[in-house]
Amino acid sequence: MKEIVIISGKGGTGKTSVTASFAVLGGKDVIVADCDVDAADMHILMNPDYEFSEEFFSGELALIQQEDCIQCGECKNVCRFDAIDIVNEKYIVNPLNCEGCGYCSKICPTHTILNIDLNVGNWYISNIKTGSKMVHAKLATGADNSGKLVAQVKNKAKELAEKLNKKYIIVDGSPGVGCPVVSSLSGASYVVLVTEPTVSGLHDLKRVYELVKKFNLKAGCIINKFDLNKNVSDKIEQFLSAENIDKLAKLPYDKIFTEAMTEGVTVVEYIDSRSKTTIKNTWEKIIEIIN
Amino acid sequence: MKIAFTTKGKDWDSMMDPRFGRTEFFLVYDDETNKINYVDNSDSTQEAHGAGPKTAQKLFDLQADILITGNGPGGNAATVLKQAGLKIFTGAGEMTVKQAYEAYKQGELNIFS
Repeated sequence: MKEIVIISGKGGTGKTSVTASFAVLGGKDVIVADCDVDAADMHILMNPDYEFSEEFFSGELALIQQEDCIQCGECKNVCRFDAIDIVNEKYIVNPLNCEGCGYCSKICPTHTILNIDLNVGNWYISNIKTGSKMVHAKLATGADNSGKLVAQVKNKAKELAEKLNKKYIIVDGSPGVGCPVVSSLSGASYVVLVTEPTVSGLHDLKRVYELVKKFNLKAGCIINKFDLNKNVSDKIEQFLSAENIDKLAKLPYDKIFTEAMTEGVTVVEYIDSRSKTTIKNTWEKIIEIIN
Repeated sequence: MKIAFTTKGKDWDSMMDPRFGRTEFFLVYDDETNKINYVDNSDSTQEAHGAGPKTAQKLFDLQADILITGNGPGGNAATVLKQAGLKIFTGAGEMTVKQAYEAYKQGELNIFS
């Protein structure tokens, strides 16, 4: 079983459009894992049925037990996140500001502040339109993604893939270069970098590739909308050559992506187009490389 | 010399865990006493963030000399381990612990720097 992780560093490069297309092309052979939980949108294209749902806890939150509070104000004094408000002469934790560091509960003279596990949303296993399954999550308002949640989604996807004898896991990776990305990349068989020819596209590609390189992972790159800025596209290609990154595809700017999206389908399910052919060929190329 | 492996189980035949920070277990093999024991790492896997540095601290406390793992630690954990003078070998994510140890002895693993 091989795990293909798709990341971009920068947002808006077309990562999820490409990932969803691969999921459709792979069909029943593929378990999909959506680790881009901050702005999850794979579900829009995959028609999940949310068959299994469970609450997910990550991080902690301070809770002041009002009956034992002597209103000394020590908690408010030490909080560096300005998370304790005085409302009607009571000390109240503002859950959006609290980082769960535990300082207040440690110094509270009457030990009245608890650190409770924070429910950040739900995670799901769904049947999807490809005839396979997808593991995904939905965050509560103000909650953020974490390495822990990504690890959960990926581990469950792996379990499912083993149980159902699937050939591939396709992971829609997290944005940026931090903890969730580290967690997205761990255990990957192959990394697909989706980038675009903008200054920040190249900059973020280089940053996230540092991580890929450190993890000693094989990677290939898709330059999306390459024709919008030939100059930066050339620079990206030079970078790929220098780093020995597989050049998987160059996709021209194509309104068909938006048209397909408006219809709620991926490019590969939409009317025939050059982009559809290129993405199909790219998927076949990736399968060839990893096997 | 103490060799630590990131693993999914508690013995030589267990699969390696390619993860560092959120590995399920460590298996620690002391090649002088020929003793092997395991360390549960589930408390680190429960961290929302910063699992890597926490796991690195644990490895430091175990006084391991060598770490054998899959992909290698992320940036923050790598900094901690570097300070601790630990030697890190990667590329053993898909092996059993036994195979990983053999591969290490044969010099087939990558040095993480």
